[in-house]
Amino acid sequence: MSDGSSVAARAGMPDRSVRLASLMSAAREGDEAALGQIVAELSPMLWQVSRAAGLTASDAEDVLQTVWLRLVSHLHEIRDTTALIAWLVVTTRRESWHVRAAGRRQLPAEQDWFSTRPDQAPPAEDQVIIDDQHRALWAAVAQLSPRCQELLRIVAFVPRPDYQAVAAKLGMPVGSVGPTRGRCLAKLRVLLDGAGRGVRDEPA
Amino acid sequence: MNRPDAAPDGPLDAADLATLDGIRAMFERADPMPADLPERIRFSLAMRDLDAEVARLVEEAGAQLAGARSAEESRTITFDSQSLTIMIRIEPNTDGTSRVDGWLAPPERRDLEMRTGETALRAVSDEQGRFAFPSIQPGSVQLFVRPTDDGAAGRRPSVITPALIL
Repeated sequence: MSDGSSVAARAGMPDRSVRLASLMSAAREGDEAALGQIVAELSPMLWQVSRAAGLTASDAEDVLQTVWLRLVSHLHEIRDTTALIAWLVVTTRRESWHVRAAGRRQLPAEQDWFSTRPDQAPPAEDQVIIDDQHRALWAAVAQLSPRCQELLRIVAFVPRPDYQAVAAKLGMPVGSVGPTRGRCLAKLRVLLDGAGRGVRDEPA
Repeated sequence: MNRPDAAPDGPLDAADLATLDGIRAMFERADPMPADLPERIRFSLAMRDLDAEVARLVEEAGAQLAGARSAEESRTITFDSQSLTIMIRIEPNTDGTSRVDGWLAPPERRDLEMRTGETALRAVSDEQGRFAFPSIQPGSVQLFVRPTDDGAAGRRPSVITPALIL
């Protein structure tokens, strides 16, 4: 299990938000380099959104190009970084569904990324330890419904301070006080708990 | 089976955040974004026309040319924007370049530009909306459609397609 500091490092510290905000205002003034930095920073998240919607790699690339081009004409309407991230995620997801609905080069219903084992890449030394954790997580996530898999894949890439706003936009329930676990994460927790107690589907 | 600490309406806690971090790490390894994609996006952003409509790729079909080797196949791609539909057919030339024939709907005379990294090829569509780029180097290209200078297309907006790999 990760310790608190690594969670915080991943979470998107406030200074990340501040930095993104200043890049945004520079980009609004026409600063291409600032826009480029926003693209570099947030595209990996949008890639996952698009692939989670079931697009091929080349369709996902088209969708990301389209979304960033659209953003340029909407940048002046987007008030802060949370709204920016929510706009990008929602637009990428909607655009991905449009492309899928156009019926070209669709993936089969079974999403192809579970045929790609996470351990295919040659493991670095320090990755050997986390590989076991990842295998258990991978197996548990694979048991979730396709919708839960998609939502968790998206949410995992959303900077933590923006989680609540994005979750709400995606139709995930949000508690009155703060982000709640939600149905998908709750189900995953039960599955992981079962795996941790040695209740496995496969013989060891 | 459902333990109280796994309730869906419970607050997100450190274990949940660690799980999300694990999912993130998993997909970063299993399905990473192509490393050069942000650069290609910046390229198309730098080339944008601020007033241009962004066309959406709506259909792509490949067809084996009769009697051709397996690598030689033509592709037909359709783009839609608010004001214009662009259909193009891409065929390989024998020298490794590609030929692109296209049609605009509604048909009209427009200036066209096929942009690659370093060059921009130009063409003009005829009254039937037909145009052709006989020889395009392989790589990433984008098609720009603009009103002609003589104003034949009136005040119709420019249209830009997503980048295509030839």
